Amino acid sequence: MLFRLIRGVLLHQRSKMLLIAVTIALGASLATGMLNVVMGVEEKVNKELKNYGANITVKPKDASLLSDIYDVGDGGELNTAYLREDELGKLKTIFWAFNIVDFTPFLSAEAVLTDGTQAEVTGTWFNHHLSLPTGEELDAGVQSMRSWWEITDGRWLDEADENAGNEIMVGTALATEKRWTVGETIELTTSQGSMKGEIVGIYDAGGDEDDQIFATLDAVQALTDREGKVASIEVSALTTPDNDLARRAARNPAALTSRDYETWYCTAYVSAICYQIQEAITGSVASAVRQVAESEGMILDKTKLLMILITALSLIGSALGISNLVTASVMERAQEIGLLKAIGAKDHSITGVVMTEILITALIGLAAGTALGFGFAQLIGRSVFGSAIDMNPAVIPIVAALIALVTIAGSLPAIRMVLRLKPAEVLHGGH
Amino acid sequence: MTKRRMFLRMVTASLLRRRSRMLIALLSIGIGSTILAGLLTIYYDVPRQMRAQMRSYGANMLLMPEDGTTLDSAKLEETLETFPEDALVGASPYRYVRLDMTSRQQSFTTAGTDFEQVQKTSPYFSVEGNYPEAAREILVGKEVAETIGVKVGSEMELTWQPTLSQAGNEASAEGAEGNNASADWVPGATLVGSAEGFGEAVLSVTAKLDDEAKIAEFEVDASTQTEDIGSLAGTDEAFLSQFIGKELPLELGKDVDALSGATITSEAVVNALNSARSAETAARPSTAKYTVSGILVTGGEEEGYVFMSLTDLQNLTGEDRLDVAELSVSADEEQLNGYCEEIASQGSGVSARLVKRVTKSETAVLGKLQALVFLVTVVVLLLTMICVSTTMMAVVSERRKEIGLRKALGASDNSIRGEFLGEGMFLGLLGGVIGAVLGFVFAQVVSINVFGSSITFQPLLLPAAVIVSMAIAAVSCLAPIKRAVAIDPALVLKGE
Repeated sequence: MLFRLIRGVLLHQRSKMLLIAVTIALGASLATGMLNVVMGVEEKVNKELKNYGANITVKPKDASLLSDIYDVGDGGELNTAYLREDELGKLKTIFWAFNIVDFTPFLSAEAVLTDGTQAEVTGTWFNHHLSLPTGEELDAGVQSMRSWWEITDGRWLDEADENAGNEIMVGTALATEKRWTVGETIELTTSQGSMKGEIVGIYDAGGDEDDQIFATLDAVQALTDREGKVASIEVSALTTPDNDLARRAARNPAALTSRDYETWYCTAYVSAICYQIQEAITGSVASAVRQVAESEGMILDKTKLLMILITALSLIGSALGISNLVTASVMERAQEIGLLKAIGAKDHSITGVVMTEILITALIGLAAGTALGFGFAQLIGRSVFGSAIDMNPAVIPIVAALIALVTIAGSLPAIRMVLRLKPAEVLHGGH
Repeated sequence: MTKRRMFLRMVTASLLRRRSRMLIALLSIGIGSTILAGLLTIYYDVPRQMRAQMRSYGANMLLMPEDGTTLDSAKLEETLETFPEDALVGASPYRYVRLDMTSRQQSFTTAGTDFEQVQKTSPYFSVEGNYPEAAREILVGKEVAETIGVKVGSEMELTWQPTLSQAGNEASAEGAEGNNASADWVPGATLVGSAEGFGEAVLSVTAKLDDEAKIAEFEVDASTQTEDIGSLAGTDEAFLSQFIGKELPLELGKDVDALSGATITSEAVVNALNSARSAETAARPSTAKYTVSGILVTGGEEEGYVFMSLTDLQNLTGEDRLDVAELSVSADEEQLNGYCEEIASQGSGVSARLVKRVTKSETAVLGKLQALVFLVTVVVLLLTMICVSTTMMAVVSERRKEIGLRKALGASDNSIRGEFLGEGMFLGLLGGVIGAVLGFVFAQVVSINVFGSSITFQPLLLPAAVIVSMAIAAVSCLAPIKRAVAIDPALVLKGE
């Protein structure tokens, strides 16, 4: 009998039940979509923030200050400590290797130009292709780590070119001063050697780098006779915003309790990643670039909080919307319920019938809504960040529980109200 | 009873008598318009709020003197007036010199700045200890501190060695006698200076200072000036005696009176004396003791510098000069470029440059965030509005019987449509107003929780929320009414 009643409602009152199912589907898709976006937004925004460049710099332990303090132009005898180029791949073997998105080495020298003046020439990677032992393929270098550079003339130096070793890029300030244009060949001399470089591109960096010359790392190593050596490494890593523990650890990791140490080591705090880099690269000091690291953490926190609050609003909104509609549709059936009561139906069996109908409708709505919601999350991910947002299966039970709660909460007061009505009054049509 | 009064009566009666149903409809519209108003307010305000947060990346504009000119505090103040007050987050003046640390024979790049402004333009600076507050307190970069082994509270003696370029002077004085680089301030120095007097003829002065740096002896060679008028400056006892016992620099008409009838010559005498004094001070190395009030950690090149207040550095070097000013301006790239052009057009010798790394990246990141909030807003609004209209539809279609009855009594289709639309739009109006207020409250809560600052009220939002609510209410009423009206009243009344 119950089954027949329910089937009757679902079939005969199709349009009404469809309306409820549509509303529930919309609510469920909203909840699914927003929860997915909230869970994925941190990673996406973190990647966007990589625009600001490196958040970790790695320098050799002993000589980091000498050239600054003594203002030694050429580095020469004093700046004896270097990092080893062949160890760079080790950056991708640390515990948080997956979080290291980009890195590039630097080696600078003062070179004498043909007109007798000096200029700083920096050797680095531009779009260096790395094939890691883990099987990962990576293009690392300044082309991605200096996203704010504007190429005013020519093009980026391409390391895949055969001739890359004889190509250079020049800052706009230096190029203007020397009246250099793309295609010209410049001779650079240091006490250890000399090279001829063809200008392939002129860049505007809006900073000190506008007065420099950039060449491939190999070329500058040969120029300064420092084969296989690099002076510093810039690393761009996805990090977790610092908290109290991270700040304590940054001061002295040895002072932590073993449990705290483990938590810290296994969280992607910038200080933990620095520590692991120091372990991987001999004789290095890795430090967080606070300008980038600190701001990054804050913006991530803010964005996440903002999205959570917007999600909360839309969840509350859709919950109220659904329960509202359910209430309306139950109350609408006052006459029918009155009739059921008049022919002797018990309160609990009426409640059972009405609830089952609505829950079946809700289930259909939920299934359609969840699928739609994943679609919305993808739409947002693709159009804003250009990449898919990870599907989070944990969202489904959360949304299902939410919809069930909202539907029941919406129908109960209405049912109670309807049950309290006298069958005669309802059937008579009075209100 | 007129038609209009009847209409009003039916609308209000239906709202009052069918309270619970109307409440549901109102609630639904209210929720919809709360979400609409809340999200739109947030969407409009997010770029502004986020931009303020982005300022934690530090300065995005640099002010520098153009070639051949200098920058000083007064000129900086003047240039800063270009910016509206609420856009300028902070402006730190910087003067870089190399100072020697007497005890270690090492020299450090030292920056003179305004620490109050630095905390605004570079909020990522982390100081172990405190920012300097009192005079002669300094901030030492972490690398410097580690190299020379100083801690918070340590004392450092720093010496400024002027070089020819640093002493860079417009002073026409030949410098002072005994210009010995290693000598300390010698109170008994003799100053020799010259300046152009009447008719561009050069006169010269010689002043010997006593132990308290006051003028003890004073001579003027004014033989080049007009005879018996200007030339009296070298012989007139009353004029010359005024200078004895005075401290430099002097001001004509205040510290000393002009020789009658020879104002230009008198001015030249004072100018010669003052420029001789500044040349003397500028060329002399000076030393002072400083207390380290904090160690600076940034992870950048600032860790290799020493920072002191601009006043301390000016006292040490005796010049009011700035190399650069770092500005943190809350504006988008286009506005920033506008400011740069405006400063260039003022022709004050100051040029403004953008820090590309910060401005470019900010534009990119902010663009994404805004797009994110925009899309989320659109999706949420769309879904919410559909939700609202399904509820409205349910509420209206429930009244098919009533419609049938009224049709049977002879009501025209148009009057039924009009009445239902009027009812729906009235609900839309009420719900829209409630929603606009609640939505603003919600946006305010979000803004205070996320950004710690209050949100600006968008006055246009109130009519927008009301109009959208009314439109949605009207549209969602139309479909069920149309269906009810089309049906034969007899069928509806019969209950099929």
